Amino acid sequence: MPSNNSKGNILIVDDTPENLRLLVGVLNEKGYQTRPVPHGKLALSAAKLNPPDLILLDILMPEMDGYEVCIQLKADDKTKQIPVIFLTAVNEVLDKVKAFAVGGVDYITKPFQVEEVLARVETHLALVAAHKSLAAKNEELAAKNIELDSTLQQLKNTQEELIQSAKMAALGQLIAGIAHEINNPLSAITSSVANIAAFWSDRLLKYPQFLQKLSPLHQEYFIYLLKQINQKTPSLTSREERKLRSSLAAQIETCEIENASELASLLAIVGIKDIEPLLPLLRDPESEYILETAYQFANVQTSIRSITTAAERARKVVFALKKYARYDNTGNKISLQITDGIDTILTLYNNQLKQNITVIKNYQDWLPSIWCYPDELNQVWTNIIHNALQAMDYRGTLTIEVKEEDGNIKASFTDSGKGIPPEIMPKIFQPFFTTKPPGEGSGLGLDIVQKIIDKHGGKIEVESVPGKTTFTIFLPLKTL
Amino acid sequence: MNQKNSPKPVILCVDDEVSVLQSLRIALRNGLGDTYFYEIAESADEAIEILIDLEGKKVPVVAIISDWLMPEMKGDEFLINVHKKYPQIVKIMITGQADKSAIERAKTYANLYDCVSKPWSDRILIETIKSALEQ
Repeated sequence: MPSNNSKGNILIVDDTPENLRLLVGVLNEKGYQTRPVPHGKLALSAAKLNPPDLILLDILMPEMDGYEVCIQLKADDKTKQIPVIFLTAVNEVLDKVKAFAVGGVDYITKPFQVEEVLARVETHLALVAAHKSLAAKNEELAAKNIELDSTLQQLKNTQEELIQSAKMAALGQLIAGIAHEINNPLSAITSSVANIAAFWSDRLLKYPQFLQKLSPLHQEYFIYLLKQINQKTPSLTSREERKLRSSLAAQIETCEIENASELASLLAIVGIKDIEPLLPLLRDPESEYILETAYQFANVQTSIRSITTAAERARKVVFALKKYARYDNTGNKISLQITDGIDTILTLYNNQLKQNITVIKNYQDWLPSIWCYPDELNQVWTNIIHNALQAMDYRGTLTIEVKEEDGNIKASFTDSGKGIPPEIMPKIFQPFFTTKPPGEGSGLGLDIVQKIIDKHGGKIEVESVPGKTTFTIFLPLKTL
Repeated sequence: MNQKNSPKPVILCVDDEVSVLQSLRIALRNGLGDTYFYEIAESADEAIEILIDLEGKKVPVVAIISDWLMPEMKGDEFLINVHKKYPQIVKIMITGQADKSAIERAKTYANLYDCVSKPWSDRILIETIKSALEQ
């Protein structure tokens, strides 16, 4: 770039003083700064000491000719970038090829035509300036590039962390759900065992005495009641039980027996539906004592049933958990029926599904297994099912269809929720997009889903109208 | 059974799992005897139905023991709703998964008496209810 406010600093090398004077005069007049030197050695030291923007170099000089000067200029890091224009007399035999080969950029023939000299000088100085500014721009770009690279890397790291924390949050939620899933049966078991123990210590020892005191007729009634307990339909819902109780109370009241509601609640628990066979007993003042004892026996049976149900429930949860965790850390693909994973997630989500969600499963028989990363697919099912439940406000129908189609396993999850508005549809797979209130959703759920499906060479599609939203996942049977 | 005219006061248990409700009811009757009548409901909705039904029959409900994590309506929300209409009923939460902010909410807005953790100890549960009813 031209320095010192001049249009350019030019070193002129020629052994003929008239030529030097002429060039200096012409160039100075045009605002160039010039340094005339009469021979090659001086030219080299001047160029090294203060590199000019351009060198005009005579070829034919004693001691060291222009070619040699140029070769040395080009050999030195400090001067090799400086463009050299050779000066040559028309009658000299100019070896153009050599001039360019040693590093010259141009040549001017003597006698000089002022316009030509100026035009060439100007052109090459402009080239130098362009070259220098380009180099500066390049350096700037390279620096920007490094900066961008490091920003990108930081972003990637942050995203990894966010994905990890989103996964951890999902896991936390799952664990909280599972704690409840295990704690509930455990409570039923603990309490039922306490109830049985209380029966054993408080009631059972009194039982022989109780039996002896009963008249033969009352003994018969008592045995009838015990038989009813045995035949009792398991697990009435609380609504059904209340209905039975009020029907029993009504029957008892019709027969003008007192304490109808108290008797009805004991009878309901014993499992009586019709009071007809018991009417004589119910009219007897001793009936409550007998019924109370039968009720205690019924409680033991209820407790046993509760324990059985609860233990089975806990077993299912533990089984699902083991499946969920089974494949972690292997990092290898496993051949598996994907419906296994879906069922596992449904079991773990049971507490959110059981009351107001109807789950319809349409799985094709004899589904082929696929090679997949099961723990990652579990995340897919977790996210999709979780979203579906939220979209429905935990009320409605979730239809899961899995079948083989065109070399893929096709799994569709349809919820009966409010649907995805068309304007946000294009954004749902974007990272950090969420419709949930701040702090509730990371906005990474579907982004993670998309990444996992990509990893399996599959694809995900979504269709939504109010009342019917379907996420369809295609996983190829043949993987690369 | 001495009260022939005035109905027995009711203690209402709410949990989404029947086996929990059954064992809870047995434990309560073992611990508190037949002074009370024990109703069970499998959801907040059902519990509200029962409350309205009993109110119609002029049967007093003295305490509600509710689970926290239930589908649909969570325990704190349910108790807060109940409290608006029935401030006199003693409210106790029973939960396997203590959500602190939910308990705080229930204490502030539903005058929650206490929270018993699952699996519960019958002794602690009975003592809690007794002390609550003595208030």
